[in-house]
Amino acid sequence: MIEPFAVPFMGRALTEIALLALICGPVSVFVFVRRLSFVSDALTHTVFPGVVIGFVAGGMDGLFTGALVAALLTAGVLTVLTRGARLTDDAATAVVLTAMFSIGVVLVSRRTSYTSDLTAFLFGRLLTVTPRQIAETAVLAAVILVALAIGWRAWLFRAFDPAGAAAAGLRIGRLDLWLNVVLALVVVAAVRAVGTILVVALLIIPAAAARMVTDRLAVMALLGTGLVLAAGYTGLLLSWTASLRYGVALTAASAVVLALVLAYLLLLPVRRWRDRAPVERTSPHELVG
Amino acid sequence: MNWWDDVMHRAVAEVILAGALTGLIGVQVVVRRLSFFTLALTHATFPGVVAASIIGVNLLLGGVVTGAVVALGVAALTRRRGQDAAAATGVLVSGGFALGAALVATQSGFSRDLSSFLVGSILTVSAGDLVSTAGVLAVVAIVLLVCARPLLYAGFDPVGARAAGIAAGGWDVVLLLTIQLVVVAVVPAVGTILALSLIVAPAAAARLWSDRLPVMTALAVLFAVGSGLAGLFASSRWNLAAGASISLAATAVLAMSWGLQRLTATVSAARAVPA
Amino acid sequence: MAAAALRLAGVSVGYSGRPVVTGVDLELRPGQRLALVGPNGAGKSTLIKSVLGLAEIIDGSATVLDRAPAHARAFTGYVPQTGNLDPDFPVSARQVVMMGRYRRLGWWRPARAADRRAVTEALDRVGLADRAGLRFGLLSGGQRQRVLLARAIAAQPRLLLLDEPFNGVDAVSQEAIVRVLRDLSAAGTALVISTHDLAVARDLADLVCLVNGRQWAVGTPGETLTAGPLRQTYGSSAIDLADGRMVLVEP
Repeated sequence: MIEPFAVPFMGRALTEIALLALICGPVSVFVFVRRLSFVSDALTHTVFPGVVIGFVAGGMDGLFTGALVAALLTAGVLTVLTRGARLTDDAATAVVLTAMFSIGVVLVSRRTSYTSDLTAFLFGRLLTVTPRQIAETAVLAAVILVALAIGWRAWLFRAFDPAGAAAAGLRIGRLDLWLNVVLALVVVAAVRAVGTILVVALLIIPAAAARMVTDRLAVMALLGTGLVLAAGYTGLLLSWTASLRYGVALTAASAVVLALVLAYLLLLPVRRWRDRAPVERTSPHELVG
Repeated sequence: MNWWDDVMHRAVAEVILAGALTGLIGVQVVVRRLSFFTLALTHATFPGVVAASIIGVNLLLGGVVTGAVVALGVAALTRRRGQDAAAATGVLVSGGFALGAALVATQSGFSRDLSSFLVGSILTVSAGDLVSTAGVLAVVAIVLLVCARPLLYAGFDPVGARAAGIAAGGWDVVLLLTIQLVVVAVVPAVGTILALSLIVAPAAAARLWSDRLPVMTALAVLFAVGSGLAGLFASSRWNLAAGASISLAATAVLAMSWGLQRLTATVSAARAVPA
Repeated sequence: MAAAALRLAGVSVGYSGRPVVTGVDLELRPGQRLALVGPNGAGKSTLIKSVLGLAEIIDGSATVLDRAPAHARAFTGYVPQTGNLDPDFPVSARQVVMMGRYRRLGWWRPARAADRRAVTEALDRVGLADRAGLRFGLLSGGQRQRVLLARAIAAQPRLLLLDEPFNGVDAVSQEAIVRVLRDLSAAGTALVISTHDLAVARDLADLVCLVNGRQWAVGTPGETLTAGPLRQTYGSSAIDLADGRMVLVEP
C-alpha cells in the first residue's frame, strides 16, 4: 500500500497534505469552538478574485500575492461586519462570500479559459504540487503554528466567555481579527494546491469529528491531525486505484474530502452513545450558532 | 415568432420569477439566520441533481428528493448544541459538494457542468424551466401565506410556541423544506453561489428598511427582481457572466441601503442635538 | 368542589429518562399563587415545562384541571425567560401579544375585533399600550417580560406558569407584573411562579414549594421560608442572620 507513494507526484501530494494536517488539526479546533464554519467557507470563496487578479497581473507568482491580499482583506471585512451593525453575522458573511466570488467570476468570464480556471480553483491540482509550493506551504505552516502557540490561550478564553475575556482586559475585536487572519493564511497556504472544497473540509471536519470521541481540546487537535493524515492517505490511494484499476476519474481532492466525511459519519454514533444529554431548545437558529 | 422563443425574453421572465421566489423565502432565511444552512442546501442538492442526470430522471425531482433528505438530516443532526450544529452544516457543505463533483467526474464534459452548477446559466432556461419555477413560486407563496402564524410563533419563541400547542420542531422542518424547494428551483438558472446571494442580500437590505415582516417581504421581492433585471442588463451590455452580475447588483442594493441608513441616522442624530 | 388547577402526586420530571426533580407533591386551587423556590439549576424550569407537557414526567401523576398536561394546553399559559429570545427578530410588541390569540385564530383566519380588543386590553394591563408598535427587541428587559405576560393574558389561561419573571427586571416593571399577577389570581387564575428571590416569594405567594433536585418542603410562606427547610434546600449557601431571618449566598 506504500508503493503508489513512491511515484514522485503522489509522494509530493501526501507531503502537502501532511503539512496541512499539522496546522489544520489545531486550527479546526478554533473553527469548531468559535463556530466559524461559515466564515471559513466564506474565506475560501473570497480568495477567488484575488487569485484571478493576481494571475492576470503577475502570472503564477502574482497568484500567491493576490490570494494573500484578498484573504487578508476578507478577514478584516468579516471582522468589522460581524460586530454590531444591524446585519446578522451569517447574512453579512453570506453577502461577502457571494459578492467577492461574483467579482472573481465576472473577471474570469472575460477570459477564454473560463471554465477550466474555475475548476482548477475548486479542486486545486493536488497531483501537480511542485516542490516550491510545498516549501511555501511549509513556511506558512510554521508562521501559523507560531501564531497558534502565542494566541491559543486568549482565543480559548474569548471563545468560552467573551464577556469575561473582555473584562479581563483582552481586546475581543483584535483577537477575532487575528483568528480570522490565521484562517485566511491557512486558506492561502492550501487553496492553490488542494482547491477550495478540500480546504473547507480541512478547516471544519477534523475537530468536529474528533469532538465525537473526546471532550479535551488538546486531544481534539491531535486527533484532528491524525484524521487528516489518515484521510489524505486513504483518499489519495483511492483516487489512484480508481483511475488506474477501474478507469474512473475520481479527483484526488474529492476523494480526500469524502474520506474525511466518512470518518465524521462513522464517529457520529460514538457521540450519541457517549452522551445522551437532555435535548433542550431546538431551533434552527442554532444551525449557524 | 413567439415571444418566448427569444433567449433574452425567457431570461427576463426567469429573473422575475426567481427574484419573487428568493425575495419571499429570503426574509425567512435572514430572520431565522439560516444563510449557512441555505448554502449547505445548495451544495448538498448537487449530488442529487448529478445523479438524476446520470440515471436520466427529472433534475428537479432529483434535487427535491436529495434536498429533502438533507434538510431532514440537518434537522436531526442539529437537534443539539450550537457548536456541533454549525460544524455539521459545514460538513454537509464540503461533503455534498465533493460527492457531486466526484459523480460529475465520472461523466464527460466535466468542467462545463460544474461551472454551470456554480454560476448557473440563465441564458439557457427553457420554457419548461419557466413553468416549473412558476409552479414552485405558487407553492411557496401559498405555504408562506397559509402557515404564516405558526412559522412566526415557532421562529420567535419555540418553547412558548410548543407550550401553546404549536409543534415548533415540525414547523421548522416545513420551513427548511420550503427553503430547499426554492434552492432546487433557482439553482439551475443562477447557480449555487448566486442563489445564496439572491436569497440573502435583498432580504438583508429589506431588513434595514423595516421591522415589519410583510413590508420586508414586499421590499425583498422588489429588490431581488430589481437586481435580477439590472444584473441581466449589465451582463448583456458589457458581456459579463449573467449570474455574477445579478449577484453583484443585489450586493449593491444592500450596500446602498446600508449607506442610506447610516446617512439618515447621522442626519437625525445631528438634528436631535439642540441648536 | 372545583377541580384542582394543578395536582402533582409523587412526580419526577426530567429528560430522556433522567430525572431532574423528584418527589414533587402539591395541589394548587384556582386563584392560588404558587412560588417555586430554589437555587439556579434546581430544576424549576424543568418542572414548569413538565406541567406544559414539554418535559417528560418519569414517575407519578400530574394533572392540569383533571387532564394530562399535554391535553390541557388550551387552558395553560406560559411566560418564558426573555433571555432566550432573539432581540433582532422583526416582531412588534403588539404582534407578540397577538400570538397569544393564535390558538383561537387557527392558521389563517384574520383577527377579529374581539381579538384586537383582547390584545389592546392585555397591553394596557401591563402598562405598555403606548409601546405596542415598537419592535420587541427595542424594549427594555422589564418591558419585554411585560409583553410576554400580556401575551399569556391575551390567551386567557386558567393556569399561568412564569419562569423567573423578575430576573433582570427594573422596579417599575416588577411592580407592574406583581399588580397584574394579583389581579389575575383574584379573577380565579392559578399561578406558578419560579423564582430564586425569597422576598418575592414571601410577598406574592400563597404557597411555596422548595425544590433543589427534589421537593424539600411545600406549604405557606410562613411554614417554608424558615431556617430549617431553607438550609435543607440550599445547603451551605443559606446563612442565618441574628434576628432569625435568612440570607442566601450563591456559592
